[in-house]
Amino acid sequence: MESIITLERTLGANWSALRAARETTEEMIAELTAAVADLQDSNFAIVVTGSLGRGEATRGSDADWLLLVDGPSDPEHGLLVREINERIGSVVAKEVGRTGTFGGIVAGHELVHYIAGTRDSNENLTRRILLLAESRALTGAFVRERVIHNVLSRYVVYDRSVQSRSGFRQSIPHFLLNDVVRYWRTMGSDYASKMWERQREGWGIRNIKLRFSRKVLFIWGLIAAFAAELFPAPELAESANEDEYYRMLASLIRTLTDVPPLELLARAVLDCHDREVAELIFSSYDEFLGVLANAESREKLEKVAFEEALAEPAYAGLREASKRFREGVTRLFFDAHPKLPSLIRQFGVF
Amino acid sequence: MRPIGFSTGALAKGDFRHGVALQHREERIQAIELSALRDHELPLLVDAVPALELRRFPYVSVHAPSRLQTLAEEDVFAMLLRLPEAWPVIAHADLLHTPSLWQALGARLCIENMDDRKTTGRTVEELRTLFALYPDASFCLDLGHARQIDPTMTSALRMLREFGARLRQVHVSDVGTRGEHLPLGVMARRAFTHVAHRIPERCPLIIESVIAAEAIGGELDAVRLALPSNANAAA
Repeated sequence: MESIITLERTLGANWSALRAARETTEEMIAELTAAVADLQDSNFAIVVTGSLGRGEATRGSDADWLLLVDGPSDPEHGLLVREINERIGSVVAKEVGRTGTFGGIVAGHELVHYIAGTRDSNENLTRRILLLAESRALTGAFVRERVIHNVLSRYVVYDRSVQSRSGFRQSIPHFLLNDVVRYWRTMGSDYASKMWERQREGWGIRNIKLRFSRKVLFIWGLIAAFAAELFPAPELAESANEDEYYRMLASLIRTLTDVPPLELLARAVLDCHDREVAELIFSSYDEFLGVLANAESREKLEKVAFEEALAEPAYAGLREASKRFREGVTRLFFDAHPKLPSLIRQFGVF
Repeated sequence: MRPIGFSTGALAKGDFRHGVALQHREERIQAIELSALRDHELPLLVDAVPALELRRFPYVSVHAPSRLQTLAEEDVFAMLLRLPEAWPVIAHADLLHTPSLWQALGARLCIENMDDRKTTGRTVEELRTLFALYPDASFCLDLGHARQIDPTMTSALRMLREFGARLRQVHVSDVGTRGEHLPLGVMARRAFTHVAHRIPERCPLIIESVIAAEAIGGELDAVRLALPSNANAAA
């Protein structure tokens, strides 16, 4: 949270909800880690994603967890899932989402081998991107890291778009970039799909999350894909050969998988030296987290009827805040940052 | 061509004499690591060294105990001092409870990167902390351990880039899901080729694959294939 704090001090702002969310996250992670501390194994990790992974949890948050298995399969994993579910439920009462994306076994092999193509699925894409952008290991930190290394290796090392004739080294991993863009658009489409399937039940909070926290995931992906340009590393320039270069590029992006999306966004904002952009982005996001942290306003967001939303202050206020957030990130990516506008122009659309 | 040989423990667990004898039979072997991984083996090894026939091995190292069960740390250190000064002492970081003691070994102390069962020495960042504490220590890159942590071998590459100047020897083996040292499989062989160019020609390769005597030749071939000698031309 170092860059966020720097921005807050520079602006003389008071982003108390951001700080509170980070503190709550660390408290909840500590409680969850203690609850599963004895469930250690060199072939699996218990991973949380969602607001806990982003460092934005409130006491009203759920705990989207996965048993990430990267090694021999074992029928006992199935029994372990039940035990983990009970233990996590003893800390976080709210149940995981009903889509089945979380709260069960995820095989590292599927995340690594089924990237795009006919065997990829909405669930697999979601788990893969969330593992990269917003995950924390409660146990098995090395297993989480190992799977991330492998996934990034697929994106960066093994799936170069074209063979280089001149030794030119591509700094933008197109495969990763395309998947990140695809995921952002999938989240948008899924929002519409859930509106239809669930007859708008719970639409308000999903709509607001799409405007803030889902958008931040996309931003994480864009910045990660542009990492070589945004955060030039001597390891890249000093690579002995092309293979080593791409492994080092994957390694650079790997380090960003330990940086929460909002913190990564703050790093980019710091580089653009635009106080207004910083204010637009982080004050609105602070407002978003403040509303979610309040049980009463969160419930209103969860239950507000589609037709009555604009008259509901919790929803209407955040809708206005989301416009400021969008204005801030649009200016960051299209105008204010020294590098992002040209990168977006060159790689973002066509 | 890099000197190559086996850890005595890999060929003959608990019987270093047999581990040495087996390597006398193979002409290609020019390097050897005397293993005292279990601490009760160390006094026997130290007493036996003067009579061991090791002249045909230009490179000899000794692997310090990985755990202290029957000996105190000071006793282990004192015994290791009785061995020839030219022999690097390969050590796991969790043996080194008293830094001031081990710092005295200087470059003879050769710290090995570890697998995920250990709590330190596993990553570049953890090794960096260790080498700050032991600034003169040398480095034993265990390729199997590094691959267990990161199958893409990017971590191993980073270790070689950052600690390459300290590199004293390389441990080679496959590593199983429970940390056991196994013969090189095809995936390990393919993985190791990605870092071969960063391993100098003079650097000894010590094989830790646990194999039967009749498999020695085949394992030497497999290691040569995984770490070809001309690979470092690009480095």
